[in-house]
Amino acid sequence: MTRIIVTTSGKGGVGKTTVSANLGMALAKLSRQVALVDADFGLRNLDLLLGLENRIVYTAVEVLARECRLDQALVKDKRQPNLVLLPAAQNRTKDAVTPDQMKLLVNALAQKYQYILIDSPAGIEMGFKNAIAPAKEALIVTTPEISAVRDADRVVGLLEAQGIKKISLIINRIRPAMVQANDMMSVQDVQELLAIPLIGVIPDDERVIVSTNRGEPLVLSDTPSIAALAFENIARRLEGQTVEFLELDSPNDNIFSRLRKLLWTKIV
Amino acid sequence: MNSDSTNSPNDFQQDSNSQPPAGKSISKQADVDENLTKTANIEVDSTDDDADSNSIIPNADLNSLFLYLQANAVSTSAESNSDLTDVNNNELGLLEEKINHNIQVQLKTEEGRLLLILPTESQVPASEISWSEIWQQMKQRLNGSDRLRIPNTIVHLVAQDRLLDSRQLQQLEETLNEVQLQLKSVATSRRQTAIAACTLGYSVEQIQLQTSFTTDLQATPRALADALYLEMTVRSGGEIRHPGTVIILGDINPGGIVVADGDILVWGRLRGVAHAGATGNRECIIMALQMEPTQLRIADAVARAPEKSLIQFFPEVAHITPQGIRIAKAADFSRNQLSKINQSL
Repeated sequence: MTRIIVTTSGKGGVGKTTVSANLGMALAKLSRQVALVDADFGLRNLDLLLGLENRIVYTAVEVLARECRLDQALVKDKRQPNLVLLPAAQNRTKDAVTPDQMKLLVNALAQKYQYILIDSPAGIEMGFKNAIAPAKEALIVTTPEISAVRDADRVVGLLEAQGIKKISLIINRIRPAMVQANDMMSVQDVQELLAIPLIGVIPDDERVIVSTNRGEPLVLSDTPSIAALAFENIARRLEGQTVEFLELDSPNDNIFSRLRKLLWTKIV
Repeated sequence: MNSDSTNSPNDFQQDSNSQPPAGKSISKQADVDENLTKTANIEVDSTDDDADSNSIIPNADLNSLFLYLQANAVSTSAESNSDLTDVNNNELGLLEEKINHNIQVQLKTEEGRLLLILPTESQVPASEISWSEIWQQMKQRLNGSDRLRIPNTIVHLVAQDRLLDSRQLQQLEETLNEVQLQLKSVATSRRQTAIAACTLGYSVEQIQLQTSFTTDLQATPRALADALYLEMTVRSGGEIRHPGTVIILGDINPGGIVVADGDILVWGRLRGVAHAGATGNRECIIMALQMEPTQLRIADAVARAPEKSLIQFFPEVAHITPQGIRIAKAADFSRNQLSKINQSL
């Protein structure tokens, strides 16, 4: 049974695309067949984050116009052969496709792949409707800010109305020190409001920016980072494993001492 | 008025792109007409009728045209009626709530029959709240009382004067089946809807829209509707309107709003907006286990929550005092106290 999951948030800039790219890679590393679908027509970014921009020949719009076959449009990743990307067209707008066409595309992909991750655009208009139409599950990405959480709440309502019942929460860019100082909403605050199961907490990390600019997803990097670990944990939780949440709020540790501790616990 | 036949049935399952462009432009036109009627007087109403009847003549026989005009005449008079009540409401100093907007999809039991009642087109013009919003309201209502429903209950759809095509009816049946309800009959005053329902095999009941009912609306005060019991979280953007008391087992999140003609009881956190006694009853109260609202409204009074957020929460009751809306601890509050306050008014 193929899992069709949409990554969405309502608000822009909270890290939907980063989550899609890294989660896709993490699942592929767990040797799952993964297809990433960029539903952000006109403002596509997913290819950039994956470093696949220069390999795009056809896009979803050409597939729908029957100008090419679906497998011709799929961009394979050399570093991770289990993962393919269905790119969106950059020269069109969100109205270039309809929800029914999205369903068609995704159902065709579902024949071959075990996971289909749809990267939704920001907003709740046509692009969003296209993105959620084929989905069976949803990942809500939010940052611990009141505006992002409010938008996420609205989106959860819309997803429920659409009949998507399995909705999980990812809290991105949390800064434990600020939470400790009571300057930032805590994981509990966000969870209390949204009342949906938490599947991952990703700490704010400068290396995410670096990896985005280089087009190398964090989970593929050789040097381990807490954020990459968080993504891998989410992938394992999606697989049904129970993984302890990372301890982000121990105050006096820096990243390296905590990593060392983590590695130690793995060895022992 | 006939624009719903060209409107896309649902925001989320929209197929507007697949529709012919001609159909689209017609619906646009009707939209504009409707907007005009909102702001203008009855004279414009009549032009609205003209525009509508022009567009329906080519594909309708004389008989249905007659029926259509009849239905339309009703709706026009109803519209002017509700305009009057609006004015009255404003005189009462009410917030800009319109009677029209209090009408949402209703799910209620009458004489042992479960009825799914859609708002009439005079209450909610087809172009103003399109099918998609009605659809969302309906889903909300269906999901909100899921646990208490007995499987395979038979539902009777009261479609009133709303135009439904066979696709919409089929969608409706599928959705009802998902929550283990069975659609059995359709009551409608529209010929096209009746035909569509017939072809799909539902038993059809032709109803006459009651002119007398709509005129009574403003003359004699209506009794409150049965309490609405919902088990759900009213999320940002969510809106519950009910002509009676509302009980919510769940939270009202910021950005969500509940408007009731009776009391509002929230068995959870109230963080959004609650408006009790929306038709002007100042004796209505708002109760919540955790009261941290964006805004509270009772009848024509409005109150904000204090700037400072509380550290400890306990069940509380909001009611009207001569000084405005006040909140009391639920443990200290009794109905007697409230009536005493009201007598001293």
